[in-house]
Amino acid sequence: MGAQNINLLPPLVESGQFEQLVQSGQTISATTSPYDNSLAVFLSPTTVSGSNSNSDREEPVYFASYDVVPSSERRLFIADTQVIFSMFHGMLESAKSREPSWIQTPEALELMRKFSVDYVNFIKECWIHASQPMPRTDGPLQFSADHYRSLYSCFSLFVVLYLPEPGYEDAPVGEDLMEWLNIHFIEPSTEEGDHLSSLDRPWEDEEFWPYLKRVTLRGLTKASLFFFNTLLQHPSEDLQDLVRTIIPIVESQPRLQNFSAERDFAFASRKWKDKVKAIRIEMDRVPEESRFDDFENWWDSLSDIVGILEGRNPVIQRVCEELGADWKEVCSAWGIFVDSRLRRQDLVDVAAEVLEIMPADPTNLEDMIHSALFSGKPEQALRYASQLDAWLSAHFADVMEPLGLLETDENSESELSKRDEYVLSYAEYLHSDPTQWKITIAYMYSCGDIGRERGDEILVRVPLRLHPSEAPSTPEEAIAQAVKEVSEVCFNYQREAVRRTVCRIAAQTCVRQKDYGLAVSYCISAEDWVSLGRVIDSILDEYVHNGAAEFAKQASKIAPSVQELQSRTVSEAIFVHRLIFAVRYSQIHKYKLEQDFVSAASDIVTLLREEIAPKSWWPVLLCDSVELLQYGSTLLFASSDAAELLSKLEEISIRASQGSGDDYLSVLTRTIKGGGEKEALERLKVVRLALARYFARCTIGSDRHALST
Amino acid sequence: MAPATVSDSVPIETAHEDMIHDAQLDYYGKRLATCSSDRTVKVFDVVEGEAQKTTSGHTLKGHTGPVWQVAWAHPKFGHILASCSYDGKVLIWKEQQGQGWTKVGEHTLHTASVNSVSWAPHELGAMLACASSDGKISVLTFKDDGSWNADIFNGHAIGCNAVSWAPAVIPGSLITPQSQSQPTVPSQGSAPNQSNSVKRFASAGCDNLVKIWGYREDSQSWVEEETLEGHTDWVRDVAWAPNIGLPRSYIATASQDKTVLIWTKENATAPWTKAALDPSSALASPVAGATMATAVANAPAGKFPDVVWRVSWSLAGNLLAVSCGDGKVTLWKENLKGTWECVSDMNS
Repeated sequence: MGAQNINLLPPLVESGQFEQLVQSGQTISATTSPYDNSLAVFLSPTTVSGSNSNSDREEPVYFASYDVVPSSERRLFIADTQVIFSMFHGMLESAKSREPSWIQTPEALELMRKFSVDYVNFIKECWIHASQPMPRTDGPLQFSADHYRSLYSCFSLFVVLYLPEPGYEDAPVGEDLMEWLNIHFIEPSTEEGDHLSSLDRPWEDEEFWPYLKRVTLRGLTKASLFFFNTLLQHPSEDLQDLVRTIIPIVESQPRLQNFSAERDFAFASRKWKDKVKAIRIEMDRVPEESRFDDFENWWDSLSDIVGILEGRNPVIQRVCEELGADWKEVCSAWGIFVDSRLRRQDLVDVAAEVLEIMPADPTNLEDMIHSALFSGKPEQALRYASQLDAWLSAHFADVMEPLGLLETDENSESELSKRDEYVLSYAEYLHSDPTQWKITIAYMYSCGDIGRERGDEILVRVPLRLHPSEAPSTPEEAIAQAVKEVSEVCFNYQREAVRRTVCRIAAQTCVRQKDYGLAVSYCISAEDWVSLGRVIDSILDEYVHNGAAEFAKQASKIAPSVQELQSRTVSEAIFVHRLIFAVRYSQIHKYKLEQDFVSAASDIVTLLREEIAPKSWWPVLLCDSVELLQYGSTLLFASSDAAELLSKLEEISIRASQGSGDDYLSVLTRTIKGGGEKEALERLKVVRLALARYFARCTIGSDRHALST
Repeated sequence: MAPATVSDSVPIETAHEDMIHDAQLDYYGKRLATCSSDRTVKVFDVVEGEAQKTTSGHTLKGHTGPVWQVAWAHPKFGHILASCSYDGKVLIWKEQQGQGWTKVGEHTLHTASVNSVSWAPHELGAMLACASSDGKISVLTFKDDGSWNADIFNGHAIGCNAVSWAPAVIPGSLITPQSQSQPTVPSQGSAPNQSNSVKRFASAGCDNLVKIWGYREDSQSWVEEETLEGHTDWVRDVAWAPNIGLPRSYIATASQDKTVLIWTKENATAPWTKAALDPSSALASPVAGATMATAVANAPAGKFPDVVWRVSWSLAGNLLAVSCGDGKVTLWKENLKGTWECVSDMNS
């Protein structure tokens, strides 16, 4: 295999300066991109001293792709043929639920033929599209019309040879082959026919006899009869007589499609051959001296034509060589004239015989693919197809495998079947265009464990914000949209681990953007309780850094998640607990803002009494209670509630004096700018004072108590 | 195969004031971090469409010597970069909303140049391995609050040049039963396949050796599991291939001795076997540059024309990029017969 050479443009180094670069202690380095099939390339020093002699120069980084990224018509071709691929695989998938032998049934073969014909028709349309001289809005064609024509001829030959209509597998193949040849390799040209038919004495033209031979060889009866008729005007009466005999014979050549039983066709063919033999006898009676006209030996040419009709193999081969026709034409004519009952399985031997004398053109991949298909060597066809176009080898292999044309054993080195090898290499090529990730993974996920692993790597890297600037939506909506899209794909291919990874990344991104609501729901979706805990900590940090109002605003966004979690049975209760605390604590601040002090007070006590609040938040809650304890007109706490506050305050003081202050005071400490444990304890003294005053108020005016105890 | 392909792209102008030592693309391939002798790290957005032009990059200043390598952490940990420098430090950078890139950590336990940094597979948590000229390797394990524990131990005499982590999931472990001797990560309750994951990495040294290190949960320490001998001069780079679904593990190593070795381990218990890339096979290229042809012709089989500096695997682990001192980058693939072939040759 020859290596491919890639040159960077604009060049990093001017031509001829390359040695200088290497001598100056520099070389290029490259790093692969996970985004697509590209490398980031840059100059780097080979001397570790590291200093650059000419530091005024720019230090650029190049991106170079080792695949030609699909563009314009090619993208369309890739996307549309993937639809057929997916339907084909849907069929194969459903086959798994049937008998293993189902795939060999006429019903299955009919379906496979249908999908293959779909490919052929689609390639044909693409070829026609590419052939039209029209302005291309999506840029110039990436592949020429001729390239699609090659794909068209190869795929349709594959269908002719390997996917005949069910029931016709053992029918003679000659007519089908000749039809294929006449569609894809038109000879002789219409122009030649037009030119000759415009002449009064066309036989005087040097192209006349070659033309007549070719149309005879190709079975183009209409054209051959037309020119045989012109020969009725030929000055030679011998020729006129012969032509008069030939015309009805050519007209009556049996065609398979006109017979309902092959036996009848065979019988008619034999009878017809006998008639041809009669012409030969009649020809031999023409004396030597009468076999010329003023231009050439008409007899020799006519003899060639009769030789073709007789099915004389050496004549057909020689005529083909003289006409510049190749082995394909010989093989096809073989199936019409030499052996009109030629079977598909016998074609291999015929092709071998013909190719021995008239080999395929090794410089023409299309020809090599044709010859491999004729020779019954599907694996060889795949090898040439992969050189012509990775699309062709992948789709060939994909159909060949269920047809039983390929070994299904895995290669011991690569652990890949032939089919998977070609399909994966096409998928890798597709990865050069990251926007086609859905198509890329569709092919990868059809390739066993290895394909699934590779597909996963692509799926987890689908950008979560495709075009943040272009999208009309907010970044949050863009992420949500992207995650939804990836999740759907994960669901379709049952890639749960991938979905969870993507949710984790999305959660992290949302935290960065302070979209805590979405972050929490992604953590829950990924069942990633550790990260959920981290998100809640970030929300609680909002309180520490940005105060109660901002905290309440952010925490309200996660409230719906609490309900979702409570409706599920979750073993990781600790994180749910923390989530509930964050939500309920934010609720307290909301009550305060709404001046619903009674509810605020009652909730503070609940959070402490039921130990929903983590210990580190007790001091913060106690500080929050000060305002409520000092609330002027009404007593908001029952005395038992106030006692609860006091007992928590006591616990904190005692534990702090025992050296465990950090467990309790860390959050409060962080809310005090530049403060430490000492300042935090100072702050708690205020709580103690407020509580003392409150108890005093309780004893003096218990009648004014708002709540019944 | 097409003969000469021209890759026409608008290069990213990094505006580094000195040579670039490393460039790394992030997880999505959407951002590029570069580092240079100018003591800075730069981060660029790689924008699609517009011929991959860039918005102006961010410059991260903090090192006091040339910066050798940069490494991106997995995005589930946030936008985090690690960089290492001649100044003996490893710096951890984080991009935060509204604050841009800030230095959030400084690892100063090494006493000489730190040559390589590498993040562990994300399944293992946020862990960073560092290789230094002081001969030591350190592994930082980050906690949720951004602080870390550091394990530091002797790696290679004279100095360590590179580190590269093994995939977290042992190849083939999904199909074959796991042997009990494998070092495993205790379940942390979140990641799937926890019982199959493994903390392991390879290091490359100035002692011409490649070493494999594994973490033992029982002793809470890093243990030298295997030593790969084969190079005859300093090993410059090591790259453990991503797990592509094969039961086999691959490591590529690049050396001062002008060779690239591919080390293969058939299964968890098999020994490592080595094979050298043979650049003379690249001569098959009809358009290979004259310099390449002459240089290779002068080099013995299995040898590159010059010192091989870097090896880097593609995402799927099926393609290896090799940067050689001769000014070329070659791309290699394993063919179906298990031989490594050069498939592309990139010229500066």
